[in-house]
Amino acid sequence: MKGFHLFSFNTLYLIIAVAFLIVPVDSMTLAEEIPKDIKWLSNTHDPVFASPDAKKGGTLHSAVMSFPLTFRVVGPDSNSSFRSAILSNQLGLIGIHPNTENIIPELATHWAFAKDKKTMYFRLNKKARWSDGKPVTADDFAYTLEFMRSKHIVAPWYNDYYTNEIEKVVVYDDYTLAVVATKAQPDLHLRIGLNPTPRHFYGELDNEFVNKYNWKIVPNTGPYQISDFQKGKLVKFKRKKEWWATNLYYFKNRFNVDKVIYTVVRDYNIQWEYFKKGKIDIFDITLPKYWHAKTKMLSVENGYINKIWFFNDTQRSGQGMWLNQDKEIFKDKNVRYAFAHAMNINKVIKNVLRNDYYRLEHGFVGYSRYSNNNIKARRFDLEQVDLYMKESGWKRGSGGIWEKDEKRFSVNVSYHFDEHTPRLVVLKEEAKKAGIKLKLQKLDQSSAYKKVIEKKHDVAWMGWSTSLRPQYWEHFHSVNAHKPQTNNITNTDDPEMDRLVDAYRNSLDEDERIGLSLKIQEKIHETGAFVPTFMVPYVREAYWRYWKLPDIPGTKMSGGLFDPFGSATGGLFWFDKDEYDKTKAAMKKKEKFAPVTIIDETYKMKSL
Amino acid sequence: MLIKINPLTLQKIHRFKSIKRGYYSFIIFVLLMAVSIFTECLVNKRALIVHYEGRTYFPIYGDMIPGRAFDLEYDYETNYRDLAKRFKAEDSGDWILMPLIPFDAYENDLKDGFYPPFPPSIKEKHYLGTDTIGRDILARLVYGFRIAIFFSLILLMVNYFIGVSIGSAMGYLGGKFDLFFQRIIEIWSNVPFLYVIIIVSSIVVPNFLTLVLIMAIFGWMGMTWTMRTVTYKEKAREYIIAARVMGASTPRIIFKHIIPNTIAIIVTFAPFSISNGIVALTALDYLGFGLPPPTPSWGELLSQGWSNMDAWWIAGSVVVAMIVTLTIVTFIGEAVREAFDPKMHTTYE
Repeated sequence: MKGFHLFSFNTLYLIIAVAFLIVPVDSMTLAEEIPKDIKWLSNTHDPVFASPDAKKGGTLHSAVMSFPLTFRVVGPDSNSSFRSAILSNQLGLIGIHPNTENIIPELATHWAFAKDKKTMYFRLNKKARWSDGKPVTADDFAYTLEFMRSKHIVAPWYNDYYTNEIEKVVVYDDYTLAVVATKAQPDLHLRIGLNPTPRHFYGELDNEFVNKYNWKIVPNTGPYQISDFQKGKLVKFKRKKEWWATNLYYFKNRFNVDKVIYTVVRDYNIQWEYFKKGKIDIFDITLPKYWHAKTKMLSVENGYINKIWFFNDTQRSGQGMWLNQDKEIFKDKNVRYAFAHAMNINKVIKNVLRNDYYRLEHGFVGYSRYSNNNIKARRFDLEQVDLYMKESGWKRGSGGIWEKDEKRFSVNVSYHFDEHTPRLVVLKEEAKKAGIKLKLQKLDQSSAYKKVIEKKHDVAWMGWSTSLRPQYWEHFHSVNAHKPQTNNITNTDDPEMDRLVDAYRNSLDEDERIGLSLKIQEKIHETGAFVPTFMVPYVREAYWRYWKLPDIPGTKMSGGLFDPFGSATGGLFWFDKDEYDKTKAAMKKKEKFAPVTIIDETYKMKSL
Repeated sequence: MLIKINPLTLQKIHRFKSIKRGYYSFIIFVLLMAVSIFTECLVNKRALIVHYEGRTYFPIYGDMIPGRAFDLEYDYETNYRDLAKRFKAEDSGDWILMPLIPFDAYENDLKDGFYPPFPPSIKEKHYLGTDTIGRDILARLVYGFRIAIFFSLILLMVNYFIGVSIGSAMGYLGGKFDLFFQRIIEIWSNVPFLYVIIIVSSIVVPNFLTLVLIMAIFGWMGMTWTMRTVTYKEKAREYIIAARVMGASTPRIIFKHIIPNTIAIIVTFAPFSISNGIVALTALDYLGFGLPPPTPSWGELLSQGWSNMDAWWIAGSVVVAMIVTLTIVTFIGEAVREAFDPKMHTTYE
């Protein structure tokens, strides 16, 4: 369901994930004076979202498809899905409240903005400790910059980011620091809330870094730490006995389970069998097949396993069909419009996806005021197809396919995810009615990525990861068109678009940016090189009944309700020992509970 | 192959016929293949014959006929099943003859409010049910059979052409040529061919011919060893020497004299190569590296069956179909081997 998330780099890891960073050592000796006229801010007044009923204890069993290739979070092979489990246990200076989007404290208790719009000051929590007991100091943030800029970590992208985006970290004393970005920008706090890196652990880096730290467990500041692992089999995380942040306002009653065990189960169907046996506690059943069909089983009817459908309200991935305007056929706007009108997305939603998915109206839904809700995607409409094609001088050929000057309207659709084949097969059959031939081209993930990023596709079927604010420059500015290795995969090249995108990028005024954002989205719609497909504005999970969730089970931004670690939305659930005993006893005696299916619409998007 | 049927061969054929299990398997197999060539007339969403307002149409072979031709309100291909229902309701003398299975392997027969896979139903004419996208399983099985069987036949011919030529040349020429090719084949055989195919087909989407080509590149070695040995043996026989004395060229000796005399060996191996070809294609499709979707394929059905165990008819149909096909082919192979066994027809003088 998640589309093609390889491209996420620029946005996801940088902006949402509060990143790491550091400054040259010499800045410590410079001991500048902190400006007197700044206003220190903090935030302990937004509503909390954990439940006061939560109890500590228990073990969460989870499964992963493959054992990570390394525990490092930078360098070769580090970009696996397991990485997020390690990164989530590393707090940053500040976080974002998942419901209000305000800044909330993590390692810093207070922060302040400088007038230049490129510097932020932070005061660290004096209680903050590394997992090895050492205090977290301002120097650990200076070290992040040093670390991330080092050639020894073999991570060019990070080298570049921490050089070109972050100028320096200024250390005033052990608990006070400033982070300076290279340029003034809106939403500075999204970019500058660094994570610390333990200097006392790494020391001087050398050529050996990549090999030396493959399986080292690096001290962290979050609630859990890896306690044990067997290569190829499992990884155990244990909650720290005295975690320094246990009683912080936004962390109270969270991170409740004692242990989290990830077991390697290399087949998705087998994972499902494990779940049915109770060897795995939670299973994501967002896919319609699981929610409707596979959960029709005794354990659910007897109430041993419960189901929850939780609507969230967060940025939606731009999933859909990206037309390459450098291909002869898509140079004509009418043809692009006709293509959009020939895609029977609603039929797919209705007959394949069981009406569970929603039509994505444009590429930037869910960005609150930055989203233009007036835009509606082009609907399946044979008359419109006819109109546009005839306007451009095409005629229906013998097979019913549009033809013009020896050209046929036959295009390749490149994709990589097996699960999407049924959707494409239906689209293909429907498009035939509109006189368009789709040739499905299923590639493996990296070849699909390569094909698209080198702009060799006709139509790319994929989605992008999201960030807190829409990013237009990488996708729609002509600077990134007509060349490989950039994210402008539609090769959009339009002076008016460039003007709008540049203005959006350079503006420091929120209202102006919002105005421009709405206009850019209209312009994208008018270009017609992106056919939006689906969005899934919710998560659905199945869980054994002894797992408990708060009354409002998640937050606006929750991408899963049983994420054990994430500092923004994770660790809200808990294990109920009494219910566990009761359930086991009932199962032995074949007694039943009332089946439970929760549908929570607290944060359901208004437009649905 | 231009070989006169000599009494010896006749004897072999006679013997083959007497092995009933293999012989009937052979007949069934040939029948299946012959029928599969005309699958379009048996399994199709297009009608065989439409009689409408005094005119007769034969939609199966030829261009698609848009709905407007039958006064329907669309320009895309006519839905003949709906048309048949309409004719029945109107009772105006128009009629339509649909194939036995009125679905093709690609169309999605979807319903509102119910979701595939649908179980087998005689009423719906989905005799083996549908797959997870609402496509008729029987239709996909039949079209998949045709693709698989012709795939392995073509693969067999390519493999044997290369393998037999090179093998005979090695045996006949001997010396450095033989040594050189022995080493080449040893090295080539050690390339893990399934992985190579997976790598190649994850980069380019293979079509029927490229897949045959890729598989042939790694499949021709099997026959060479046998052919080399047999040729060494034949080469020393008097009739070859006689041919040489009469001035026959090397290719002529190999293709006109040696190969016809080793045909028994080639024939015995063939059925087993066919079943290997089917299995290889199915395995690749199962792993998702074979022919691109939505090509009907047994491997793809198998993988659907695996992830939808509760829809027993998917895995069930394809497993039964595979067992039947492979058993038939194996029976033929065994019978051929027995009939052509040289111990039965010693020709040494």
